[in-house]
Amino acid sequence: MSNKYKILVVEDEHNISSLIGALLEADGYQVISASDCANGKMLFFSHRPDLILLDMGLPDADGITLLGEVRKASFIPVIVISARTDEADKVEALDHGANDYVTKPFSSAELLARIRSALRTAAFHSDNGIYDGVFVSDGFLIDYDARRVFVDGTEVKLTQTEYNIIAFLSRHPGKVLTYSAIIKEIWGYSDSGSVKKLQVNMANIRKKLGARPGKKNYIVNELGIGYRMCERSEPVSDKTAATSHSTVAK
Amino acid sequence: MKKIPKPLADAAITVFFLLLCFVLCLLIQNAFGAYTLIPAIFILGSFLTSLITEGYIWGILSALSGVLLFDFAFELPYFQLNFTVADNLVSALIMIVIAFATCTLTTKLKKQEAEKAESEKEKMRADLLRAVSHDLRTPLTTIYGASSALLDENSGLAPQQKEKMLLGIREDAQWLTRMVENLLSITKLDGTNVRLFKTSTVLDEFLDTALIHFHKRYPCQEVSVDLPEEFISIQMDALLIEQVLINILENAVCHAKGMTMLSLKVFTIHGRVVFEIADDGCGIEKERLKHIFKGYYNTETLPSDCRRSNAGIGLCVCSAIIRAHGGTIEAENTKNGGAVFRFQLDTEEEIHEQQI
Repeated sequence: MSNKYKILVVEDEHNISSLIGALLEADGYQVISASDCANGKMLFFSHRPDLILLDMGLPDADGITLLGEVRKASFIPVIVISARTDEADKVEALDHGANDYVTKPFSSAELLARIRSALRTAAFHSDNGIYDGVFVSDGFLIDYDARRVFVDGTEVKLTQTEYNIIAFLSRHPGKVLTYSAIIKEIWGYSDSGSVKKLQVNMANIRKKLGARPGKKNYIVNELGIGYRMCERSEPVSDKTAATSHSTVAK
Repeated sequence: MKKIPKPLADAAITVFFLLLCFVLCLLIQNAFGAYTLIPAIFILGSFLTSLITEGYIWGILSALSGVLLFDFAFELPYFQLNFTVADNLVSALIMIVIAFATCTLTTKLKKQEAEKAESEKEKMRADLLRAVSHDLRTPLTTIYGASSALLDENSGLAPQQKEKMLLGIREDAQWLTRMVENLLSITKLDGTNVRLFKTSTVLDEFLDTALIHFHKRYPCQEVSVDLPEEFISIQMDALLIEQVLINILENAVCHAKGMTMLSLKVFTIHGRVVFEIADDGCGIEKERLKHIFKGYYNTETLPSDCRRSNAGIGLCVCSAIIRAHGGTIEAENTKNGGAVFRFQLDTEEEIHEQQI
């Protein structure tokens, strides 16, 4: 039973920590827990986990500090656990190298989906990031070689910028990409109008993909933070697959 | 006006009244040749100054300058300061006393008013706290009771009963989460230092996020959406406005009995975005409609086991959030019997124009 993913949980609230621990163990992960930054850092270096779940508000230091320490040493996925109200914290964590975040209170299904997604992305990255071929998510298909995009078998005409944005998002499925990360990738520089430019492009993309507000769309808006490309059959909500497939972009 | 610091405004008021008195006196003197009115006019001037300005200093300053001006320009010998004449001294003294007394009175009055407002606010807060504690107790009782029963191995509960209890626990926990979110927003908006985290938010991204969250809670409730084609961006605290939208939608789900459709329509009018949430349910009673955004005024009329009395605080939060954004919110009944809620916000373009 040694071939299990090892997950480090850094969380000071004992109840939450043991709840997460139980959930993860039940789902077949090996769990090690720390209740503060110092302990978390020590366990990270001694155990070399495959993923870290990191609470932002820790007693001895900010979670960002630990994130920085981890990022100096490795690229393992880090998922930040944060309270609902700190948009700025989320952006800061993502821009400092966190892979994703979950907001308290979260459902177990949501947490496990995020963990699976982050581990998968990490594995994907380790094959040296060769992305040729295609990306498929439900009825959505990107042909990287031909630079063409299809929805339910029909080609969608995108401008060069729009295609670049979609392709960039699809290379990190399930991961939130912040506005600044996308802007840096697509335009290489940023100015005061960059976010607006990105938002206008995204609005056009949504229109072309036939997205409708409140339905399961291929690209999830993370308000004030960035965008996330849905993975194949990623549960969007608790009701998940039962309804999601039938409502996609009709 | 609101950008000018208070002392500067007060100084301006003082100078303004002094000049007004001076001009008035000159006019009267030239027109009627009457001197008796002049002290009265200066007294009136310093009285008004002390009434409007804050604290003692401006009233007294006005009285002193009034005395000097009066003595300088209107008392014999003209254009010389002369305090040796007894009645000059007496009129100076009278003016200063009047200014001082007025200042004392107005200061006391202002203080009393502030105290009264503070105690009213305190009372409102206590009412809110009482109502909230009452509301929190109900779900907590269920959670506590159900979890204890589930832990008790000898309880002999059937699997269906267990599942029902677990669902109850989850539902109540979700309700508590929403309640806490509302309370957090109230503390955020309470008092003078409103902490809004405003970002430019794209309308359809916002609606998408809000509706996904709404559907998560009410998977069976369809919302028909109608929004404009053009790209609209709004400066707002998206989390808070989302809370407004969800509170109103949730309100319809919980209270609009007999509802068959729930619609959300967004349109722009004169540079403002209007969000209109309409249902075809039972509508809102007239008495309730008057106080609907004021919060917990009629908790007594709600059934004591009403778990959804969240509505009171929910709409109160809505109105506080919209006001903090400089928008307006209203509720009314439609002709076909349902209720409609409307709130307006400035679009970003509008704000830019205002800044230029």
